[in-house]
Amino acid sequence: MTERRRLRSLVTLAYLNGVLPIKTQPLYLLNLIASPLSFLFFIDIASHGVLLLYGISGGMVLTVLTIGSSLQTDMSHYRQDLKWQDVVVASPVEATTYVAGMALSELLYSLPGMGVFVALWIFAGGGTLLGAVSVAIVLLCVWAFASALGFTLATYFEDVRETWVFAPFISLGLTVLPPVYYPITSLPASVRPFAYLSPTTYAADLLHNAIGIQPLGFDALLLNWGVLLGFTAALLLLAGLKARWRDP
Amino acid sequence: MAEGIRARALTKRYPKSKTGPPALAGVDLEIPPGRVFGLIGRNGAGKTTFVRICATQLTPTSGELTVLGLDAVREASEVRTRIACVPQESRPLYFVTSRQLVDLYLRMRGADRTAAALRAKEVLKELELTEVADKLVSHLSGGMRRRVMVAMVLASDAEVLFLDEPTTGLDPVARRDVWSAIRRVARDNRTVVLTTHYLDEAEALSHELALLEGGRVVLEGRPADLRGRVRQPWRVTVPTEFPLEELRSYGTPSPVEGGYLVFATEPAARELAMAALQRGMRISLGPVSLEDLFLQTVGKPLTGPEEPLESEAS
Ligand SMILES: Nc1ncnc2c1ncn2[C@@H]1O[C@H](COP(=O)(O)OP(=O)(O)O)[C@@H](O)[C@H]1O
Ligand SMILES: [Mg+2]
Repeated sequence: MTERRRLRSLVTLAYLNGVLPIKTQPLYLLNLIASPLSFLFFIDIASHGVLLLYGISGGMVLTVLTIGSSLQTDMSHYRQDLKWQDVVVASPVEATTYVAGMALSELLYSLPGMGVFVALWIFAGGGTLLGAVSVAIVLLCVWAFASALGFTLATYFEDVRETWVFAPFISLGLTVLPPVYYPITSLPASVRPFAYLSPTTYAADLLHNAIGIQPLGFDALLLNWGVLLGFTAALLLLAGLKARWRDP
Repeated sequence: MAEGIRARALTKRYPKSKTGPPALAGVDLEIPPGRVFGLIGRNGAGKTTFVRICATQLTPTSGELTVLGLDAVREASEVRTRIACVPQESRPLYFVTSRQLVDLYLRMRGADRTAAALRAKEVLKELELTEVADKLVSHLSGGMRRRVMVAMVLASDAEVLFLDEPTTGLDPVARRDVWSAIRRVARDNRTVVLTTHYLDEAEALSHELALLEGGRVVLEGRPADLRGRVRQPWRVTVPTEFPLEELRSYGTPSPVEGGYLVFATEPAARELAMAALQRGMRISLGPVSLEDLFLQTVGKPLTGPEEPLESEAS
C-alpha cells in the first residue's frame, strides 16, 4: 500500500469504529468517562478537595488506559463474533494500520472525558505550557502501550467472555492500586518499591510533576521518562512480534 | 498465464490438537483462475482450514501453497492486496447500513471516497440490494446480511474471492438469493473459492469442484465428469424388510430413512427392482446424484448422520 492509501485506510477504520457506533448509540460515550469521573468524585470528597489534582491526573491516566481495554474488547468481539478480523487480514490492510485505526477510534471515545479533566485542571489553577506538553506526551505513551497490549491480548483470547474478566482487572490493577489517584507518599515506605512495578506509576509521577503537585528532581525525571518510553517501546515491539494477525 | 491456487502436500495440525488426525493431511489441489471452484465436504472435512490458509489467515504446518503464483506464507502481504474473503459464520458490522459497509470496506482497502461510493452504489444495484441500502445491517434478515457480505467483497478489485459456506443456515429462498449474487461474481472471470456442504449448491455454482474428506482431496473434477466416473451409476431404495444379506449381492447398500439405499450397476439394479417388486415392496429407482457419488466415495452421507455406516465386507 502507498502511504496515501494507508492513511485512507486508517482514517476509515477510525471513522468506522469511532464515529458510526456513537451515531447509533451516543451512550457509548459515557462508558469511558463513568469510572474515571466516579473515582475523581470519590477522591475529591474523601480528601476534602486536597487531592483534587491527583484525582484529575489519575482520571486522565485511567481514561487513556481504559482505551486499551475497550480496544481489546472491541477487537475480540470483531475477531470472534463477527470474524471481521479475518475479513481485514484477507485485504491490503496491514495489522499496524488496523490497530492504529482502531486505537484512534477509541481515542475519540475518550475525548469527552479528557475534555472534562482538562476543564477541571484549568479551573483548578491550570498549568504551564511545558506542563501541558508533558501531560500530552505521557498520555500518548499510555495510549500507545495500552493499545498495543489490548491488541495483543485480543488476538490470544478464544472467547469474548475472557476479555470481560481481563479488561477491568488490567485497568484497575494499573490505575487504582498504583499511586495514580493518590500521592506515592501515602503508601507505606516498605510497599513503595512495588508500586514501581507498574508502568503507570512512572506515568503518574511525570503527570504529578507536570501539573506541579509533586516536583521531581532531574535524575528522577530522567528515570521516569526513560522507563515510560522504554516500556512503551517494549510493548509496541511485543505487539509487533507476538500479536497473532495470522493464526498459528 | 494467470495463476490460480496451487497446493502441494499441504498439511495443517492445529497447535491445540497434538494427537489425532491432522485437519489437513496432505492436500494436493489445483484451482484454476477465473472460475468458481467448489470445495465440498462434510463438517470437519477441512474446508475452512484450507480456505483460511489460502486467505493468509492461518499458518500451514507443512507443504506448499501459492495464490496467484505467490507464496501464501512468505509473500502474504502481496497476496493480501489481491484477495478478499467472507469467512465462515462472519457477520457484517451491525451499526452501519449496507451502503456504508460496502463503501467503507472499499475505502479501508484504499479506494478514494468518490470511487468507493460509486462502486458501492453499482454493486448494491447489481445484487438488488438498493432497497435496503440505507437500512442498518442489524435490521436485515440473515439472507440479506450474507448478500451484503458477498456484495462487499464483490465490490473490491480482488482477483481471488473466498466464500466460506455463504449459505449455511439460510432458508431455501434466501439461499437462492445468495446464489444469484455468487453467479454475478462468476461473470467477472475472477477466481472464486466457494465452500459448501450442499452438493446442489456446488453443482449449481461451480465449474469445478473438489471433495474433501478427512483433510484430503478424495475427488476432483467437473460435476459432469464426476458423474461419469461412478462404478455403480444406479440407485435403488428398498424398505427395511428386504434382507440385508441378499441386498449385498446386488450392490452397495446403506441405511436411509425407512429403508436401504443400494448403488448398483444397471443390470443389478434391474434385478433388485424385480426382486423387491415380487415381494410386493415399494421401491424407487433412478440414476445416482452427486450426493450419491459422495456417499459412494466417502461411505458416509454429506449431511445427516455423522456415524459411519455398518462396515462392509470388502
Ligand atoms: N481452531 C481449531 N483448533 C483445533 N482444531 C480445529 C480448529 N478448527 C478446526 N479444527 C479441526 O480441524 C478439522 C477441520 O475443520 P474445518 O476446517 O473447520 O472443517 P470444515 O470447514 O470442512 O467443516 C476438524 O476436525 C476440526 O475439529
Ligand atoms: Mg467450515
